[in-house]
Amino acid sequence: MPPEIRRAFLFCGAALVVGAVVWASIFDALPPADFSLQSGTDAKTLDPARATGNIEGRLLDALFEGLLRTLPDGPVDPETGVQPQTPQPAMAESYEVSEDGRTYTFHLRRDARWSNGDPVTSHDFRWSWLRLLHPESASEYAFHLHALPYAEEYNLAKVETGDRVEVELWTRPGESAAEQGNVQPFPRGDLVYGVLKQILKPEEPKFPEGLAEEAQERLRGEWIEKWVYEVETRLENADGSIDWETPGELRRFTQSYATARRDDGVERVHHVLVAFDRLGALETPDDHTFVVNLENPVPYFPHVVAFYSLYPVHRGCVEDHGSPQWTQPGAIVSNGPYVLQLRRLRDRLRLVKNENYWNAEVTGFEVVDFLSVESETTAMNMYETDQIQWVTAPPTALLEELRSREDFIRAPQLSVYFYRLNTTRPPLDDVRVRRAIAMAIDRTEIVEEVTKGGQLPSFSAVPPGLAGYKKATGLTYDVEEARRLLSEAGFPNGRGMPKITILYNTSEGHRAIAEVIQQQLRNNLNISVGLQNMEWGTYLDKVFQIDYQMARAGWIADYPDPNTFLDMWVTDGPQNSTGWSNAEYDDLIRRAGLEGDPAKRMELLRQAEEIWIEEMPVIPVYSYTSLNMVKPEVEGFAPSAQDKHPLHLMRYRQPSEED
Amino acid sequence: MSVDAAPTDPVQGSPSGAGPTSGVGPASGAGQPDAATAQRALRESAERERLEQLLEESRNIRGVSLWQDAWRRLKRNRVAIFSLWLLATVALLAFITPLLPLQSPVDKDLQNRRFLPPNLAAAHLGDRPSLQFADNRLTAELAEFETRIAELRSEAAQIVDPAAREKRMVEIDQRVEVDHPFHQLWHDLGPVSWAMVQVRIAIFGDWAIPSIFGTDDLGRDLLARVFWGARVSLIVGLVATLVSLVIGVSYGAIAGYFGGVIDAAMMRIVDLLYSIPFIFVVIFVLTFLEDDKTKAYLESVGVSRMTIFYLLIGAIYWLTMSRVVRGQVLSLRHEQFIEAARTIGAPQGRIIFRHLVPNVLGIVIVYMTLTIPAVMLFEAFLSFLGIGVEPPDVSWGLLMDEGVKALSSVKTFWWLALFPGLAMAMTLFALNFLGDGLRDALDPRMKNRD
Amino acid sequence: MQDLASYLLKRLGWMLLTLWAVFTLSFVLMRSVPGNPFDGERAVAPAIRRQLEARYNMDGTPLEQYRQALGNLVFHGDLGWSMKLEDYSVAQVIAEGFPISASLAIFALVFAVILGVTAGVISAVRRGSVADVGMMSAAVLGIAIPNFVLASLAILLFVFLIPIFPAAGWGTFRQILLPAICLGLPVAAYIARLTRTGMLEVLGRDYVRTAAAKGLSKRTIVLRHALPGALLPVVSYLGPATASVLTGSLVLEKIFALPGMGSHFVNSALQRDFTLSMGMVLTYTVLLFTMNTIVDISYAIIDPRVKMQ
Repeated sequence: MPPEIRRAFLFCGAALVVGAVVWASIFDALPPADFSLQSGTDAKTLDPARATGNIEGRLLDALFEGLLRTLPDGPVDPETGVQPQTPQPAMAESYEVSEDGRTYTFHLRRDARWSNGDPVTSHDFRWSWLRLLHPESASEYAFHLHALPYAEEYNLAKVETGDRVEVELWTRPGESAAEQGNVQPFPRGDLVYGVLKQILKPEEPKFPEGLAEEAQERLRGEWIEKWVYEVETRLENADGSIDWETPGELRRFTQSYATARRDDGVERVHHVLVAFDRLGALETPDDHTFVVNLENPVPYFPHVVAFYSLYPVHRGCVEDHGSPQWTQPGAIVSNGPYVLQLRRLRDRLRLVKNENYWNAEVTGFEVVDFLSVESETTAMNMYETDQIQWVTAPPTALLEELRSREDFIRAPQLSVYFYRLNTTRPPLDDVRVRRAIAMAIDRTEIVEEVTKGGQLPSFSAVPPGLAGYKKATGLTYDVEEARRLLSEAGFPNGRGMPKITILYNTSEGHRAIAEVIQQQLRNNLNISVGLQNMEWGTYLDKVFQIDYQMARAGWIADYPDPNTFLDMWVTDGPQNSTGWSNAEYDDLIRRAGLEGDPAKRMELLRQAEEIWIEEMPVIPVYSYTSLNMVKPEVEGFAPSAQDKHPLHLMRYRQPSEED
Repeated sequence: MSVDAAPTDPVQGSPSGAGPTSGVGPASGAGQPDAATAQRALRESAERERLEQLLEESRNIRGVSLWQDAWRRLKRNRVAIFSLWLLATVALLAFITPLLPLQSPVDKDLQNRRFLPPNLAAAHLGDRPSLQFADNRLTAELAEFETRIAELRSEAAQIVDPAAREKRMVEIDQRVEVDHPFHQLWHDLGPVSWAMVQVRIAIFGDWAIPSIFGTDDLGRDLLARVFWGARVSLIVGLVATLVSLVIGVSYGAIAGYFGGVIDAAMMRIVDLLYSIPFIFVVIFVLTFLEDDKTKAYLESVGVSRMTIFYLLIGAIYWLTMSRVVRGQVLSLRHEQFIEAARTIGAPQGRIIFRHLVPNVLGIVIVYMTLTIPAVMLFEAFLSFLGIGVEPPDVSWGLLMDEGVKALSSVKTFWWLALFPGLAMAMTLFALNFLGDGLRDALDPRMKNRD
Repeated sequence: MQDLASYLLKRLGWMLLTLWAVFTLSFVLMRSVPGNPFDGERAVAPAIRRQLEARYNMDGTPLEQYRQALGNLVFHGDLGWSMKLEDYSVAQVIAEGFPISASLAIFALVFAVILGVTAGVISAVRRGSVADVGMMSAAVLGIAIPNFVLASLAILLFVFLIPIFPAAGWGTFRQILLPAICLGLPVAAYIARLTRTGMLEVLGRDYVRTAAAKGLSKRTIVLRHALPGALLPVVSYLGPATASVLTGSLVLEKIFALPGMGSHFVNSALQRDFTLSMGMVLTYTVLLFTMNTIVDISYAIIDPRVKMQ
C-alpha cells in the first residue's frame, strides 16, 4: 500500500474518532419532569389485556381508567396508619347491583373522554372486554371475567355440539387467502352466527411412547385445527340481535388451510367460538349504560371491575395501528389522568397530564417520569440526590436505617410468601412431615432479622386484613410438636430422613430466607436441607413440572377477597403445581363460588382454609409489606393495603399549608 | 530434556544450535555414477568423521532444559518468588481451611451478630444460644453426645441375641452419623472436611478467631467466609484457566502451525464460537446435568456439578487464548529453527509442542494472569445470575457482590466489601508479579544469557 | 484499492456464513434449554398457549420454526417481535439501545486508549522506575477490581463525598462521564499492559537501535519508530474489546440506570425471550466481525509488511 493512501487512512481514522466523540457528546436533553419515580424493570406491555404485574399495573392506573377505580375511602386506620381504599365510580358515574347480586348496571359519565377527544361509551367497554376474553389476546387475567356466562368457554375456545357459536371468517383487514393468517387480536374478520350441529373430527393421532410433552401438545393442537364444524347459520334481526330460532343454511368451517383446500364444501375460518357476545352477558342499551350479567354472584366484582385488565381501550386506535403498535407514544389513545408522551426502553416512560380527563382539575403533576431503575441501591442514590421523588423498592440491607425515617412509608400487603411442597414424592407426601416442617420454621426470626420490613409471620393460606372473613387458625411455631410429628412419620430426630432441597429463583432476598430456613430445620429437626438456586426460566419450568421438593413463591392479591388465595390450590388449578388434591376442598371452593349469601360464602371459604392448614400442601412464611419512600414535600401519598397510590392525587405541598 | 533445536531468538537470525543440522539433510546421496564413487566415499568418510566429532562434542554438553533454566532465573527475581510463596500459602490455607480455628462460615446468629463491625470479642463454637448446646459450647455438647453414644453402646453390648445386638449396633452407628453435633454448625461437610474439622476441634477446642473481619447481614463470620470462599475462587481460577490453557494453546498452535485452509477454518470456528450466547450454553449444560440419571452417573464416577461448572467456564474462556497463541505461532513458523526441526524430520506434533509452544509461553503466561481474574469474576457473575455456586458454598466474587450492595449513601458496611476485595486483590497482585517473573524467566531469548 | 475491495467482499461472505452458523447453533441451544417465554406464575391454558405460540411462529415443529425464522430474517430482514417486551420489535429494541451503547463506548474507548497507551509508553521507557511500578500496579488493580466494585466506589466518591456527578440516569453530558470512565478503566489497564510489553520488545529491536545510533532524539524514536510496532497487539486487542464495550455491560447499566443494550443480552436469555436474544446474538456477531475486519485493515496500515489476504 502506498504511503499516501496509508496517510489518508490515518487522517480518515482520526477524523472518524473526532466525529464520533462529537456525535456522542450531543444530547437532545429532555426538560425535567415535575415528578419522577422508580418504576423497576421495563413494563412488558401497555396493553391492558396483556399486562401482568405491579409495574404494568402502576402505569396502566395512570394511563387508563376503568368503570371503577380503587381510591382512598374513609379515614386512615389510627392503629396501622393505613388508608382504606375501595373501588369508587370513575368512568361510571354510579352503578347499581340487582338484589340477587348478578346484574351490575353501570351509568357512564357523560363527560368521560378519550385523550383524543372521543367520548368514552359503553360500547368501548363491551368491545374491550370482548377483546380481553378473546383467545387470541391470550390474556393471563381473562379469568377475572370467567364469572360471566359463556366467558370461560369463549376464552378457552371450548365448543360443543348444540352451542350457539360465532364464526370468524378469513376476512381480516389486509388478509388474503394465503396460508399465513394475520395473528392480530382484533381487528377481526366478518362474523357469522349459528348453532353448532356437529364437529367432524379426524382420527385422533396416536402418540408414540415417550414423545416429549411439547411435541404431544403440538400434535394435539394440529389435530384440533383440522376439526370441521358443521354450523346451521342464523341471521341478524333488524335491531342487531340474532334470531336464534329461525334455522338458516348449513355451512361447514375449519381452521385448517389444508382441510379447506382439499374439500370445496368447507370454508377456512379463524375461529369457531361460543357466541359469547350475543348471549346476554354484556348489554349496551345506550351509549352511557353498561349492563353486566353474571352467572353467579361475585361479591368482589367491583374490585375486579377496578382491576387494570378490565380497563377499556380505544377501538379506533387499536384497529388503525394494530396490536401491539397501538401502544406506542403518538399512537396510543387512553382515558386516564395521563397520556404517554415518550417511551424509551431501559430509560423512562414520560407521562403528561391528559387535559381531556374528566377529573383533570385534580391532577397534581403535569409531567411524570417513570424511570426504569432496576437496582435498588441506584434508586436509593437517585432519591438521596433528588433525581427521583418516589422509591418503590428500598434496599433490604438499609431497612433498619430507613424504617425510622419519616419519608419511609409501609403498609401490610394482602399477600403471602410461601413454599410449595411437592406432595407427590416422599417424604413430603406425608402430611406429618409437611406439618412438622411448617411448625419448625421460626417465622418471627425471618421477618424481624432477615426481611426487616415489618412483614407479618404467616401461618395460614389467607393473610389477615380481609373485612368479613374470620380466618381459620393456623399452625404455630412449635418445635416440640414438630419433632414429635417427624418421629411419628418414622424419622426420629431426622434419622432416615432424605435430604430436602429448597428451590428458589435468583434473588438476594430469597437466598437469605432459604439459608435461614436451612439452618432452622437443621437446628430444630436435624433435617439436612440443600439449596438450589435457579434463574427464573428454569425455575418456572421445574415448578410446573412439579420437579422439586420445596419451591418458594409469592402471591399478591388482585382483589381483597379470601378466594384469590384459596382457589389457587384446587386440584390441577393453574397455580397449584404441588400435586395436592383434595375433593372436599375443591367442593367447598366450588360451592363458595355459587353461594349468594356473603356470610355463608365466607364460612365455606373458612372451612376450605381449615382443610388446607390441616393438609399443609404449602408452607406460608410471611405476608409482605409494601415499602415506599416518598419525599416529604409530596402530599396525597398514603400507605395502602393493595399498594395502590393514585398518581393524579399526588401533588407538592403548598408552602402556605406548612405554615 | 535435551538440547536439540533449542528455541532461540527469532529476531536475531540463525539459531546457532540448529544451523549445522540443516546442512546434513541433503548429504545422503544415492545412485551416483561409478567414476567418482571412491573419491566421494573418501570425502564422505571425512565428513562423517567431522560430524561424529561434532556429535561427540555436543554429547558432552550437559543439556539445560528450558524449565531448569527458567527456574534458575526465576529464583533471582525476588518479587516473583515472594509472590510464589504468597500464592502457595494462600492455596495451602484454602486447602486446610477446615483445620484452622475459624468460626463456622454458615452458622447464622441472626439475633445478636448481624452486621457487626470488625471486633475482637471472644468467639467460641456453639455459643449461639438457639443452638441449645450444653454449656453453649460445642466441646461440651460433643462430650455429652459421646457419653450418650457410649451408654447406648454398652447397653447394646448386653443384648444376648447376637443378631439383635448387631442390628442395634448398626442403628447406633447410623445415629452417630445423623445426630452428630457438627451438622448443627456446619450443615453438610464433605468427608475430608469432616475429618479436618475433627482434628481442628481436637487441637483448638471451642476457641475460634474473633470476628476480626466483622460479620454479614445474617450474622456469619466474614473471616471464615473469606477463607471458605477462597477454596471455591481459587479452584475456579485454577481449573478453568488450566482448561482454557490446554484447549486454547493446542488449538491455537495447531491452527497457526498448519496455516492455510486449516488455519482459516479453525479460526472461523473460533469466530463463530465467540458469538454463541454463553448463558444458553451454561444453562443447557447445567440443566442437562440436573437430569437425575446423568447426575447419578456423574456422581458414581466422582464428578460433581461444581467440577463440571469449573470445566465449563474454562471451555468458554479458551477462545482468546487460542487466538493469541495462533498469532504468535504464525509469526514463528517460518523461523529457521522450525524449518530446521522440520528438515531433520521431527514429527509435526513434536514441532508444535516442543518447539513452538515453549516459544509462545511468555505471552501465554501474561494472558493467563489476565484470565484468572476474569474467570473468577465470571464465576461470580454466573453465580449471581443463579447459574453457578449454590449456598452454603460461597466465593470471593459473591462476597464482593454482597459487600458492594452494602455500600450506600445511607449507611456503609465497609468491611463487607473491603476484606473480600483485599483477599482477591492480594491474590491477583501476587499472580501478576509471578506471571511477569515467569514470562521473563521463560523467554527463550534470555536462555543461557545470564 | 482493488485488493481491499476483494478483501472486504471475502470478509462479507465469511460474515454471512458465520451469521448463519451462529443463528443455527443459537436456535438449537435456545430450543434445548428448559423453560419457555410463555410461562408466568400461572400455568397457561393449552388453547391460549397455542395462540401465543402462533403469534411468535412457535407453533410448528422445531424444523418448521427454524425454517420460518430463518426465512423471515433472510427475505424480510425481520427479527420478529420481542416476546417479553411485547410492544417492541427486536429491531426497535436494538435501534433504541445501540446509539446509547455506542456513545458510551466511544467515550470509554477514547479514554481507555489515551490513558492506556500513555501509561504503557511511559512505563516501558522508564522501565523499573517508580512511575512504572506504580502504573503497572494500578493496571493490575484495574483488571482485578470488578467494575461493579469500581462503579460503587466511584459513586460514593464522586456523587456523595464530592458531589460533581449525578447518581445515575441518562440524557446529559455529565451523566455519561462516570459510567464511561468505569467502563473504560479495565480496558485502559489492559492496553497499558499490552503497550508496555509491546514497547519493551520493540525497543530491543535492531531498527530501533539503528535509529538510536543515527542520533535521533529519544522522543522521535519512541513516538515515530517504536510506537507503531508496539501498538500492533493493542490494535488486535481493540477489535474484540470494542465489540464487547459496544454491546455494553449489564452491571454498569444496572448501577447507573443506563438504557444501553447490554442488559438485553443477559435478560433476554434468562427470560427466554428467544427473538430478542437471537437479535442480540446476531448484532454482536456483526459487530465483532466488523471490528475484526477494521483491525485487520489497520494492521495493514500500521505495518507495511502485512498484506491483506
